Amino acid sequence: MVEHVIDASNLRKTYDGVEALRGLDLEVPAGSISALVGCNGAGKTTLIKILMGMTRPASGSARIFGRDATSARESVEIRRRIGFASEEHELYDAMSVDEMLRFTAPFFPRWRSDLQQRYLRKFELPLQRKVKALSRGMRTKLALLLALSRGADLLILDEPTAGLDPAIAEEVLQALVSHVSSEELTVFFSSNQIAEVEQVADRVSLIHRGRAAVAGAIDDLRERYCRIQLVFDDVAPDVTFRAPGVARMHRHGRVLEVLSSNGSAALLDEVRALNPRATEVRPVSLKEIFLECVAVEE
Amino acid sequence: MLWYKSWLETRWRFFIGVALLLCSAWMTVFSYPYVLKLMPLVPDVEGELGRQIRDAVELTRTFGGFVWSEWFRQNHSQLITLFAILLGTAGFLSRSGGASFTLSLPVSRQRLVAVRASAGLAELFVLALVPSLVFPLLAPAVGQTYGVGAAIVHSVCVFVASAVFHNLSLLLSTMFGDAWRPLLIAIVVAIALSVVERLLHVSGVGVFRVMSAESYFRHGELPWAGLLASGAVAAALYYAAVANLARRDF
Repeated sequence: MVEHVIDASNLRKTYDGVEALRGLDLEVPAGSISALVGCNGAGKTTLIKILMGMTRPASGSARIFGRDATSARESVEIRRRIGFASEEHELYDAMSVDEMLRFTAPFFPRWRSDLQQRYLRKFELPLQRKVKALSRGMRTKLALLLALSRGADLLILDEPTAGLDPAIAEEVLQALVSHVSSEELTVFFSSNQIAEVEQVADRVSLIHRGRAAVAGAIDDLRERYCRIQLVFDDVAPDVTFRAPGVARMHRHGRVLEVLSSNGSAALLDEVRALNPRATEVRPVSLKEIFLECVAVEE
Repeated sequence: MLWYKSWLETRWRFFIGVALLLCSAWMTVFSYPYVLKLMPLVPDVEGELGRQIRDAVELTRTFGGFVWSEWFRQNHSQLITLFAILLGTAGFLSRSGGASFTLSLPVSRQRLVAVRASAGLAELFVLALVPSLVFPLLAPAVGQTYGVGAAIVHSVCVFVASAVFHNLSLLLSTMFGDAWRPLLIAIVVAIALSVVERLLHVSGVGVFRVMSAESYFRHGELPWAGLLASGAVAAALYYAAVANLARRDF
């Protein structure tokens, strides 16, 4: 039994002297909906390309279903069990929707004709229209249909809603959520839309400049991360806390703000010794965690 | 299904090639009576040009000589070189060709190249053979005959030699993301080879010499050395394309 469907360790990749991945670690547990969040150029697409066998890492390891994703031979077997949609939803422009379906299905022994029919109806895709004549939204839906119908154990989606208007993005996300609730599979998708990650995912890996900054279950992160605001009578002291998990500190005049990644209890014990006039502990959103992590790296 | 994709990608180039080559072969056959009528009007010219004119006139005295001179040595060789290059241009790396979708399929890169190359070469074989069969079929319409065997032998020589250009553009398609650079580079290479062969009077192993199968026409001997050399070069280019695609990052 493979505990982690995806297990990447210390991945490095350089393009023309620019480090796209700088020792990235990633674990995606079986059955999870994991999001990979990062700014443009953070290394999300590079990681996905490595997992899909499209690009080889300079060093490090990437395993999917316990197999080596960087081995050309094993990658073929891995891809048999993966549903994939690329960021640009690259499909064959010269084919019609119907031809794309008839082309793709035979490659996947577990192709789900029932799902194909269901999503054809749901997305109202015109079977005879050429792919190059489809709108971006239609193209995204077709790419998603082709990924979902593969009968895959793992779904890898690179920015599935990129460039879509909010209505179509919502429709795509709803289809994804509904699919995951009715099928047993693991989903790994990249995004730079925190709101959609919170809507869909149960785990998240925040990556910045080719490294994992934060990773874990979203509920767990929300529980662990908090912002402690201390207001002093005079200028806030320049202190160093001994308690673990101080992710970030800001001093503005009489206010000292601490972002903790390890709850508030240990920090509050230390804080009391500073005699602040007021202490406030606030939960933080995923977006705040992401922005703080990015800011730390910057 | 990869065959189907390859067919969709190349079918128009193939159909245009078949149509053009058939028209060219048909015109060659039906121009023969007019060429015969014009032969007495050919002027007597001194020097190298005069020698070439006399050689062409001599060849034209027989239908077989005319077909070889006009078709196998010129029109067919030139057109099939162009279409070999067009059919070999594959767009492995092109986004509009769905490169990342193809790479997400459970198929090895070796198989991708193999299927694309096989489909292109099969079409190239049709382009080499079918238009040449026009001669045995239509020769009686102008009061002449042409052997099916000769047409097939010439077609095989044309196919083997043009496979070099097909596989060259296949290799170039694994190196460049657009369709134009493989096309233009392969055409420049073909023109350069043609000029070099003419200037240096390259004998039997020259790719255009093999394509024209002059030794077979003049002496009934197949250009074995040239066929083997062309086959070996085509195979080397194919393996280079496989190796290059296999090592590439997308």
